[in-house]
Formats: sequence, C-alpha cells, structure tokens
Amino acid sequence: MIWHIAKREIYDNLNSLRFALTTVLLLSLMLTNAVVQLREHPKRIQEYRDGVAKYQNRLATHAADSLYKLAEQGPGNLYKKPSPLHFCAEGGEVFLSAYAQGSYHRWGAGTLESFWILAYPSVNPNLYNIRPNVAKVDWNFIIGYVLSLVALLFTFDAISIERERGTLRLMLANSISRHTVLIGKFLGALISISIPFTLAVLINLLVISTSSNIHLNIEAWERLGIIYFIALLYTCLFLGLGLFVSARVQRSAVSLVVLLFIWTTLVVFMPSTLASIANGLSSSPMSYDEFRKRSSQLEDELDELWDKYYAHSDDTPEDLREQIRWGGEIVTRDAKQQEQLHGDQLNQQITQMNRARAITRISPVSIFQHLLESFAGTGFERHLQFLENVKSHARQFRIFIADIDKADPESLHIFGVREGMSQKPVNPEAIPKFQDTLSLSRDFNGAAMDLLLLTLFCIVLLSGAYLAFVRVEV
Amino acid sequence: MMTLIRREVLDNLMTFRFAAAVFITLLLVVANTIVLLKDYEQRFTAYNRGVKESHQRLRKEKTYSNYHEKLVVHRPPNPLGIFNLGLDKRIGNKINVYHAFVPTLWDAEKHESDNPFLNLFTSMDIVLVFQGVLSLLALIFAYDALAGERERGTLRLVLTHPIRRAHILLAKYISAMLCLLAPLLISLLLSITMLTTSTAISLNTDEFLRIGGIILTSFLYLSLFYLIGMCISALTPRTSTALMLSMFAWGFLVLVYPNLILTIVEIRPKPEAQASAYNQIKQMWEELDRENKRLLRNDAILGPLSRNGEGWGFYVKGSEYTFGESEDKPSILLYFFQTGFYAGKIGAESESQVPHLQNYYRFYNRATVNTVQRTWLVRKPALAAIYIQPANLGRMLLKFSPVGLYDAATEAWAGTNLAGIQDFFRAVQRYRLAVLDYFNDEKIFESRQWFAADQGTADWNALPQFSFRRSDTGINAKRALPDILLLFTMNVVLFTAILLIFIKSEV
Repeated sequence: MIWHIAKREIYDNLNSLRFALTTVLLLSLMLTNAVVQLREHPKRIQEYRDGVAKYQNRLATHAADSLYKLAEQGPGNLYKKPSPLHFCAEGGEVFLSAYAQGSYHRWGAGTLESFWILAYPSVNPNLYNIRPNVAKVDWNFIIGYVLSLVALLFTFDAISIERERGTLRLMLANSISRHTVLIGKFLGALISISIPFTLAVLINLLVISTSSNIHLNIEAWERLGIIYFIALLYTCLFLGLGLFVSARVQRSAVSLVVLLFIWTTLVVFMPSTLASIANGLSSSPMSYDEFRKRSSQLEDELDELWDKYYAHSDDTPEDLREQIRWGGEIVTRDAKQQEQLHGDQLNQQITQMNRARAITRISPVSIFQHLLESFAGTGFERHLQFLENVKSHARQFRIFIADIDKADPESLHIFGVREGMSQKPVNPEAIPKFQDTLSLSRDFNGAAMDLLLLTLFCIVLLSGAYLAFVRVEV
Repeated sequence: MMTLIRREVLDNLMTFRFAAAVFITLLLVVANTIVLLKDYEQRFTAYNRGVKESHQRLRKEKTYSNYHEKLVVHRPPNPLGIFNLGLDKRIGNKINVYHAFVPTLWDAEKHESDNPFLNLFTSMDIVLVFQGVLSLLALIFAYDALAGERERGTLRLVLTHPIRRAHILLAKYISAMLCLLAPLLISLLLSITMLTTSTAISLNTDEFLRIGGIILTSFLYLSLFYLIGMCISALTPRTSTALMLSMFAWGFLVLVYPNLILTIVEIRPKPEAQASAYNQIKQMWEELDRENKRLLRNDAILGPLSRNGEGWGFYVKGSEYTFGESEDKPSILLYFFQTGFYAGKIGAESESQVPHLQNYYRFYNRATVNTVQRTWLVRKPALAAIYIQPANLGRMLLKFSPVGLYDAATEAWAGTNLAGIQDFFRAVQRYRLAVLDYFNDEKIFESRQWFAADQGTADWNALPQFSFRRSDTGINAKRALPDILLLFTMNVVLFTAILLIFIKSEV
C-alpha cells in the first residue's frame, strides 16, 4: 500500500511544473559547477606542483651544503595538497593558507644564525579584493541552498492540499493507516526529488571524469558516494520539515509561508548571524601587537645567555667550546620559544573558530556544510589536518637531523652553531619528504558528530511529522 | 477606489502571512543590528586606538627621514555600514603616507590582524536581510492577487460594478505596498533607534538623509518584486501554478543568478599587462638609482666614502648606521626605494660632510618625488585595468537581477561602495601632497634634521593634519541615481505590462 501511494505521488510530481523547473535548475547548476571545476582545477594542481618542486630543490641545495645548513634553514614551505573533490565544497579555501612556513628565519648576529621555526602565514585576499561578494556554485551551495528549498516546495502541500480537496478523508475512509499515507507521501517526494538530483549529479561527474587533468581514484569515488548519501539525508530533513508543517497547518498557502520563513532563517541568515554572535561572546585571540610584544619579551629573556656567549671568545680551545655551547643554547632555546609562541597564537585562533563553528551547528545547513567539507577534503577541518601533518613532519625532520648528527664522529653534537654540528653534506634522498595525506577513516571520525546530529535532526522532524499527522483532525 | 483599497488593506492585514512577515523581519533585523552594532563599536575602538598610537609613534622620531611607516592615516568605519557593509570592512583601513609612493586602496593594511579564519564566515547586513526576506514577502503577497480572485470568481463580481480595471489594479498595488511597508518601516525604525542609543555613533542630518535614500531604494525594490509576483499572477490561471512560478523566480533571481553568473564569467586580469606595467615602474626607479650613483661617484666628499658607489648608503662617522631598502610588491605594482639614517649625533670628523649631505638629499628627495609622479602615470591606469574594471564588470553583470541593483544603490547611499572608499584614498593622496608642500616650503628635505638629531629635532606638530569628511549626500544621491532610475523604470514597465495583460484578459 505504501508503494501504491508513493507511486501515485511520483506520477503526480513527474507531470508537475515544479519537477520540470527543478530539473532545469539543478542541471544548469551542476553543469556550471563541472565546467568551473575543469577550468580551475588544473591551475590549483599546477600551483601545488610548482610549490613542491621548489621545496625539493631547496632541500637538495641545503643538503648538498652541510647538515648544519639543512638544520638551520629547515624543510622550507610545506604545501597543502589540493583535493580533487574541490567542486563538492569550495570551503573558503582562498582564506586558508596553501602552505605552512618551515623556514622562518628571524635574525643573524655575527656567526650565529637563528634556526628555522614553524610559522603559519595567514592570507587575506579581501584586502585587495574589490569585487562583489558572492558564493561559489559548488555542491554545498546547490544542495544546501537550492535543493533544500526544492524539498520544501515538494512537500508544503503534501497533506494540506489533500485536506483542502477532501481527498484525505476519502483515503482514510478506506482501511489505510495514517502512517502508511505519510510514509508513502515521504517516499514519493524523496524519489521525485532524487530523480532530477541524481541525473544532475551523474552529468556533473560525467563531465568531470572526461577530463584527463582530474584523476578521481577509488577513494574519491567512495567519498562521492558518502556525499551523495549525506545529500539525501539532508533532503530528508527538509522533507520531514515540510510534512510536519503541512500536517499542522490548515491551508497550503499558509504552510508555504511558514516553511519559507523557517527556511530563510535557518539556511540563509542563521549561519552568519550565529557565527558573529559566537565571536562577539568569545574572547578574541592574541592580537598582532600583543604577539609582537610577547615575542620581544621572549627575546629579552635570552639576554643573560648572550652575556655568557660574549664573555667567551675563540682565544683558547676551551673558551671556544664554551662559546659554542652558549651559542647553541641561545639558538635552540630561541627557536623553541618562538615556535611555541606561533603555535599558541594559532591555537587561540583555532579555538575561537571551533567555538563559532560549534554554535553554528544549530543550523542544519552548517552541519551539512561541515560534513561536505570533511568528505570533500576542503575547508577548515581539512586545514587543521594539514597543520597536524605539518607538525608531525617537523618533528620527524628534527629527529632525522639529530640522528645524522649523532652518526658523524667529527661533530661536537652541539645544536645551533655551525662549529658544533656536522659539516658533511647530506644525501638528499635520505631526508624525510613532506607528504600531505588525506585519510577517509580520519575524516569519518571527525565528521561522525555532524553526521549523528544531522541524523538526529532528521529523525526528530520525521517523527514530528508523524505525530502531527496522527493527531490531526481530517 | 478608496473602498477597494480599504478592503484590500484589511484583507491583507488580517492574514497570517502578514503577521509572520512582520515577526520574521523584526527578528532578523533586530538580531543583526545588535551583532552589527557590536562589530561597529569594536572597529571604532580599534580605529581610535590606531589613531592615538600612530600619533605617539610619529612623535618619537627625532629625524624627519624616519617618518616612513610612522606617518599613518586611519580610515574610520562607516556607521551606515550597518545597513550595507559593502567594502567598508573588507578593505584595509590603515595607510602610510610617504613621499616615495602614492597611497592607494591596495597599499592599505588592517588595523589589527584579528583572527584570519573568521573570514570563512560571510558577513551580514540589514540590506541583505531585506534582499532575501522582503522580496519573498512581496511575492507571497502578490501571487494570488489576480489569480486568486479569478479562481474564486470575486473578480467577475467586482467587475460587474462600474469600476475600471486599471483602478482595481492600482488599488491592489497601493494596498499591498502599504502592508509591505509596515515590516520595512517598523524594522528600520527599530534599528535606527538602536543606532541612536549607541554611544559610538552620532548620526547627523546628512546621514539621516542617506538612510532616507536607503528606505526609498528598499521601497522600489519591494515594489518591483511585488510587480513581478503580480505579473506571474496575471499570466497564470491558477494560484498554485502562480505560487510555484513565483518561488522559482525568487530562487533564481535572489539565490542562483548572482552566484551563477560570477562563477561562469571569469573576470581575471591579464598577467602580461600586470608584468609590463610593473617592469615600466621598476625601470623608472632603476633610472633614479643610476642617476643617484653617478652623483655619488662624482661627489668629492661623499663619493669616496660610499660603498664603491655601488651600495645604497654611505658612511657618516658617528651615525649609528645608514640604510637603504627597496619595497617590491609586483601584485599591486608597487616598487620604491627608501633611504634614511638613524643618526643621533654626527661625529666631528664628519661635520664637513654635512653640507654635502644636505645637498645630496635635496637632489635625491626631489628626484624621488618626481619619479613617483612619473610612475603614478603608469600605475594608476594599470591598477584601474587590473582591479577596478573587472570589479565593475562583475557588478554590472549582477545588475541584471534586481538584487544587484538594490545592493549597488544602497551601497552608494551608505557610501560603502568602491567610489565611497576611493573618496578616502583620494583624501589621503591630497594629504600626501599637502605634506610634500609643507616639506618643500619649510625646506625639510634639505634640512639637517632630515638625517641628524643633534642640532634640533624634527617638529611634528607643525605638520598639516589629516582630515576626512565623507562626501555630501548630493554626491551619494548622484552615485545611486542610475541604479534607482533603473529600478524605477523596471517598476513602470512591469506595471504597464500587467495593466495590458489584465485589461486584455478574460475574466
């Protein structure tokens, strides 16, 4: 019986104006998305490759010089690997730095040179950008905004119009239970929306996979499958909302008005307003001036060591050794402190951002956006993963330097000073190379909360619709 | 006629959609005003702090030549940005005034580099709320205006009376607009009340006039969407079809079109143009460099002391150190040299150098100013071609949707559009010229205080003060006028079209 009702709904919908308009709209949006991806993606890949090539050349040059040079200059800029699924969620990537700086050199005094530290450059393209502010047409926009609106337009009259026409009473006069009617209607709407949506997705992917520049591997297809599933879940949420309001409200016109206002509030305004409120409430991170002040404070703390360093000279071998020791102490401690400070600043920024993101989760479109970004491998969550990768590489790099230095019998094993460290060139092949990896299981773990929340929303709304419909007077 | 209007108004006022509309608009506007006000206050404090700090920093300098990055001018936040934020928050609000380059929008920086990640969230303003909610509202009011009456048969009933069809249409339009104005005006009044209670904002008559302009534009925008809805309603026989079409029209015009068009049309400047302009600018500076080195080589006193005539500085005994650096930013076509001294006291053996140094700086600083003037002739059109033209093209494409027109017009009223921001940078450019005039008149470029602080220090209090007044309301009105006229024309055209359709249609 459920299937019977669903089939009737589908036939009804297939002939309707909204179905035709939805198909046209979704197809044109998805095609645009694919074309833009074909145009933009090669550029991103090229930039990444150029960055990596520069990184490798730099490593090779320093390795050919000496271990000290390598240890002083650091690994260089570490680049973030662009995701092939950028077209699913653009994720505000322009506001996230494409690399982390592993070569930040700060001072030189006589023969002493400061060691590299990890720094996190921030990008603000807005400073030069005077163009109008618009969202990119990615899947996040197409599904999050357009498809959710379409879902409401398909369900706002599902129950109220039958009541208006009196057909609902007729149907319930037969031995059909109410939940059968509701599930039938729900399935009907879901399948009617899935048809144009699936079609549009398939055409989008077809266009994208014809290009030789974009290589979608098996993992990317798995991710796409998950994204498709999430999109359907998200659509269900709005179908549930539509059915709920439609069951509660007497007239279909009123039902649409209510739904549209809920939709604009939830989808259009809530994410940014909530984010602004969250940022207003939380304490702001270390400002640039404060950062500079603390940085120079930390430098002042080294004054004592500098006095000891200058108290010795290279007159006698013992004296020289003392000087090297103090020099090494200054350089290593300075690098450690400054890197800690940079990390602190970054962490404070991330904390504020995470708080804002947590609050925006009240809006389903934000949850959906987070999910899409996680699985597409773009956006903030992905940036955090990249930073983790960078930090672990930095540790690995330092351990490698220490190991090589230990292996050299001529070295004094005093870090930070040329005379205290191995002077031999290093085999560039042996240096650990930075690999920015994406792992599906990790993304899945990160997204689990959002996924659960979305499911929860969905279940609440669907059961709400069920309860409302069961209790309603026909 | 009056009876008709009264009937329609009462009909509309009693509906659920009216109550919902007022509630939602009020809620969104009030919530956003609170957030925006707080944000404005924060930016205003940052501005005040910035002004104070720059004032103190400049006064710490003892020699004139060290004023680079110390003579800083700040852009105050625009209180009307609450209505339409435009570029006000995005573009830098702190800029150096220096004789070696002409300050532009692209040379500006931000007061405080707050959390860069927050850029990931889009910013809100009141016009954006109106853009989405009011247009939706207008369509909801309009979709059954004609189709509904036709379906119910009341239209036929009304027309049996000796009433002209045009009057019916006009009555419907006027009454709906009266009802639609209620949420618009109530929410705006509330937000203006909240603005006036804030201590950071004091609105003057000019600003109230501009808010009036924003209200007028909002009214035209609202009316346009009502007419779009009515047009659909007149064309379709059934209300449900009219409703569906209206919703898709809304989705397309407000949501899809602006994003779609700017994604499809790729407006990117040609990198060759940028590179060639930059090379030209660089060449001019290298010419100056060669001239400078030739002069140093030929100077009997300074020449031998200079680093083989190759480096940028020369040694003066007793000075702490000399420096010369170049500023090199190809992306914004900026290239210049800066030289200077941190000389507290000039040693006795260098005293004979001083007249030569003064002579040298007279030449060098004036030559720098001349070179800047020449590079500006290249840089200005190049910046316009690279940044301004694509932005204007993008804005023009957006204007095919009423949303774009509305946004552009309100931005112009608020003074947060490109022209409004450029006003500030033009004021900074004028200020730079005033500072240069002062330097010329007081012979500061060739004074001893330019590089040494041992015989009298720099007097910063006599320096001309920077002041910036926003453009008059007249100019704002002139900037908004084309868009407003376009909106108005669209209104008239649509109304005529509906009239024609309605008169010709069968009841």
